[in-house]
Amino acid sequence: MLKNYIVKIKTAFITMLLASNIAFAEDVEVKFAYIGQKDNSALLGAQQGLSEANLQGQFLNQKYDLDIISIEDAGTHDFSNYIAVLSTVDTDTYTNFADTLPNVAVFNLSIKDDGLRTACIKNALHIIPSNTMETDAKNQWQKKKPGSIVNAQAWHPDFVKFAARDLNKRFKKSHKISMDDNSWAGWAAVKMTSDAVARAKISDPAKMLHYLKTEIAFDGQKGIVMNFRETGQLRQPILLVEDNKIVAEAPVRGIAKPPTLDSLGILTCEK
Amino acid sequence: MKFYLASVIFFAFVCNTVSAAPTGRIFVTNERGDSVSVINGTSLAVEATIDVGERPRGIGLSPDGSELYVAVSEENKIKVIDPASLKILREFEAGSDPETFAVHPNGNIYISNEDDAKASVFDPKTGEQIAEIHVGLEPEGVAISPDGKRVIVTSESTNMLHVIKASDNTIEKNILVGSRPRAATFTQSGDIAFATAEISGEVVKVDMNTGEILKTGSTGDSKSKPKDVVLNKDESVIYVAGGRANKVVVMDAETLEIITGIPVGKRVWGLAISKNGEQVFSTDGVSGTVSVINTSKNEVIKTVEVGKFPWGVVIND
Repeated sequence: MLKNYIVKIKTAFITMLLASNIAFAEDVEVKFAYIGQKDNSALLGAQQGLSEANLQGQFLNQKYDLDIISIEDAGTHDFSNYIAVLSTVDTDTYTNFADTLPNVAVFNLSIKDDGLRTACIKNALHIIPSNTMETDAKNQWQKKKPGSIVNAQAWHPDFVKFAARDLNKRFKKSHKISMDDNSWAGWAAVKMTSDAVARAKISDPAKMLHYLKTEIAFDGQKGIVMNFRETGQLRQPILLVEDNKIVAEAPVRGIAKPPTLDSLGILTCEK
Repeated sequence: MKFYLASVIFFAFVCNTVSAAPTGRIFVTNERGDSVSVINGTSLAVEATIDVGERPRGIGLSPDGSELYVAVSEENKIKVIDPASLKILREFEAGSDPETFAVHPNGNIYISNEDDAKASVFDPKTGEQIAEIHVGLEPEGVAISPDGKRVIVTSESTNMLHVIKASDNTIEKNILVGSRPRAATFTQSGDIAFATAEISGEVVKVDMNTGEILKTGSTGDSKSKPKDVVLNKDESVIYVAGGRANKVVVMDAETLEIITGIPVGKRVWGLAISKNGEQVFSTDGVSGTVSVINTSKNEVIKTVEVGKFPWGVVIND
């Protein structure tokens, strides 16, 4: 099955060279795995990303699918067919799981634990901001507006800039609930991976991991191109929210020092 | 009798010519002003403001210049205005959230419906929808080749230029470009198109016959989020609205290297070039101004205050 798939891709590659950058000539099927609770909103985000990837895929002969695997079944499941794994599990399960699939990108959509960043697990990609990123964002706002109590969030349903309005609208239309941090993370993980499939024609999980860690310029509808730190954390703007209303974005203008996105969170590994 | 008939024909001809004579005016949609500013082409001063409804964005003219079309996004309508009397003549439903559109040489309007991942084709005479084309997510820019053969619709979230064959309104090819393609323009021959990509800060030059990307050029600093693009008359340079870089970027159309950046108002999005190629008009959203650029000097010769958040601009010349 996998071999057949690779042969297909190779053929497509050769045709690609001839046909320039139009599309894969043959159908390509790309599968994601999701491990975690079914009722986590991250899964809805991933499903949103999947439907958008398929919308793009119809123009490029690419099909995307997602298998949901329970935490109990993850130990015995065959993961060799997946382009990447999405997860909403606890820290220990995540660490163990990432260890068993060293050449596959394992997306963390829900854990904010800083230790998971400083551990610099080679195949860990943290979409959700870490605790320190959120604290740094709040501190920047405190410096600008002392005494102001704000929440730091990866996403907000009222976010409208940078076509965030469109994403919020699409998500709500499909799932009847508002997009939150985890669902944004799920959407973003699928979107950046499918962008890489479309753009760089990557179908091999190890190559995908390498590409995601070193080459992406991801448009996550936050108005700036995003990529990953050495720690596996996605660099990203954070929304500052007071009484459920967005008051600012961090890096806070005039407070954060350039490169401003790196004013949020821990940058280096624990050696 | 013969003389009478000839007179009637002559009279009809004169009337027709008179009614379609260009007003020389520049029309600007004010996204948050819910209006269209009318700039006198000679004095370059605002001579009127037309209330058009909530969130006007895309703006265009019929091929003979006798009708002005405005996409009023929140009302899901296109309003038809007489560019001479400035009266709203009629309106028609234009699908969900109509944003940008272009007018085909045959008079039909191709419009992107941002919410619906589709482009629609309307006959503005009857308001009837002629076709619907499924494209990628967040369709935005629309451009039509001067010969009317091809239409480009950009989809911002799918990162594509969808090339539509106008003869049967089907997609001919899909070209992946940089992040968030916003706008496109064709050369006179229709063989080449230029498109901007907002988030990756790029302009791509595409061979429309093969779909091949011939060149990619950066619009410079990281603040520049390019939107509209227009070609000058001899097709040697392109003018690109530089977004938050607050300038219009002038690039060599051959190499896509930056020639210069012309400082204009804040958050520049819309562009239009006069038929004689002598002037480029930019809408400066945050400043609420239109900048008039002299293309032989590549400098701003006048800044005109218009309404809130000017968005699109078109010249009736």
